[in-house]
Amino acid sequence: MYTNEFEYLAPTTPAEAFELVGRLGSKARILAGGTDLVVLMKDKLTSPEYVIDIKNIKEFKGIKYELGKGMTIGATTKISEVQYSEIVQEKYPALAYAASQLGGTQVRHMGTIGGNTCNASPSGETPTPLVALGAKVVLSSAAGERELPLEDFITGVRRLDLKEGEILTRFILPEPSPKSVSRYTYAGARDAMEIDCVNMAVNFELEDDKETIKYVKFVLGSVFIKPLVSKEVPALLIGQKFSDALVEKAVAAAQGEAKPISDVRASEWYRNEMVGNLTRRLLKEAFAAAREV
Amino acid sequence: MKQQISLDINGRVYDLVISHRDLLVDVLRKKLGLTGTKKGCGNGDCAACTVQVDGEPTLSCLTLAISCQGKKIITVEGLAQPGGALHPIQEAFVNQGAIQCGYCTPGMVMSAKALLDKNPKPTLEEIKLAISGNLCRCTGYKRIIEAIEIAAATMSAQEVK
Ligand SMILES: Cc1cc2nc3c(=O)[nH]c(=O)nc-3n(C[C@H](O)[C@H](O)[C@H](O)COP(=O)(O)OP(=O)(O)OC[C@H]3O[C@@H](n4cnc5c(N)ncnc54)[C@H](O)[C@@H]3O)c2cc1C
Ligand code: FES
Ligand code: FES
Repeated sequence: MYTNEFEYLAPTTPAEAFELVGRLGSKARILAGGTDLVVLMKDKLTSPEYVIDIKNIKEFKGIKYELGKGMTIGATTKISEVQYSEIVQEKYPALAYAASQLGGTQVRHMGTIGGNTCNASPSGETPTPLVALGAKVVLSSAAGERELPLEDFITGVRRLDLKEGEILTRFILPEPSPKSVSRYTYAGARDAMEIDCVNMAVNFELEDDKETIKYVKFVLGSVFIKPLVSKEVPALLIGQKFSDALVEKAVAAAQGEAKPISDVRASEWYRNEMVGNLTRRLLKEAFAAAREV
Repeated sequence: MKQQISLDINGRVYDLVISHRDLLVDVLRKKLGLTGTKKGCGNGDCAACTVQVDGEPTLSCLTLAISCQGKKIITVEGLAQPGGALHPIQEAFVNQGAIQCGYCTPGMVMSAKALLDKNPKPTLEEIKLAISGNLCRCTGYKRIIEAIEIAAATMSAQEVK
């Protein structure tokens, strides 16, 4: 299978990229690792006249961390770099783990973190932990920059609040609270190379008594048109002492909030069961970890 | 769009005319006759087409050839040692019976090469991870994993790259 004919453009500076993306608008598609876009183009699901490769722009890649300020991750940073980064593993373990579970080795060395978000598949691996960790996206164009919480940037299945002329250039992650922990879990048909039927991430913190829940952000993937930020689970948990009975209430709440579909990967019933099982496992894992910090 | 480009493949620079849409796998196989690299699914799912681009294991079926200008591409043909001897990874695959139909083999070998270049003494788990995207419908993987373990030991002992 072949893609359509197109003109390939490879800007090397942000200014060149913004000029091209602004001028060519909907005639062009942005290319990062190509692990989604090239597949879509081969299937003729998109046939752009121009392909703008943004991988040669060094300002758009790399991981920077400053103690107390948090992290920025360039949009074209490879998934493998996020997976193996020691500082990501230490400060944002849910994200490092999710990155390690995306595709196979080759896909992780080609695919980028920006591409994973911009592909806006509900089953995407990294948007779920990024949202749980409070990530913002920076959308840049010739006219300037704007910042948006990631959960507002992804608006639906393959839908983004990305204006014509804009490029996602980086993610901003706030410094995690010193006593907080983050965890990610997922279910799929097999370990490697599958697309998750459910995934979820939590950012979790206990009070000094190591029993009472101080903070929870709980996000579900693959069970809604976009990453689903739970309202009910934090409302149930915050201020309460952790217990098995409380976890069961959270499980029921998460199942109530999730709006899974039946598709090739799993039935609605199975997904709903998995939401319950994974919520239980993830909250217990986060609680055990939070007691240790 | 057609354009003349140069590609550095296995240490040799090739000047060739390509279309912007040409995929690396097709350029290797059809334009340059480097048919060691295999095309299985063409969609990223089998990794038969794995080559190294600047050292990284890369699916040549999802890579635009034009995007590889200025990068170093290594294909399975590039593993031959001086005098045409097999590379220790290839030798281990042969000796361990890690090859049946052979269609997945170049991709497996190149994935193993990318692993061992970075991590000369991988654990069993690291070997399994490195080939977790590579499909083999014949061998059952066990002998492939054993071959990579043996290659790692041989290469460390002989300091082969
Ligand atoms: C075999 C295989 C297995 C996979 N397994 C998984 C998996 O387990 N989990 C998972 O989540 N995904 C998986 N994927 C999907 C894909 O690899 C990831 O989504 C990857 O992160 C995409 O990144 P990319 O750089 O390759 O994106 P590209 O394909 O380059 O781009 C994807 C989309 O985003 C747009 N885009 C990219 N970067 C930007 C930017 N900076 N600003 C604006 N728009 C942009 C592109 O125009 C395109 O529409 C798999 C893919 C393959 C081929
Ligand atoms: S041919 Fe490239 S992954 Fe199958
Ligand atoms: S040997 Fe036949 S596919 Fe692996």
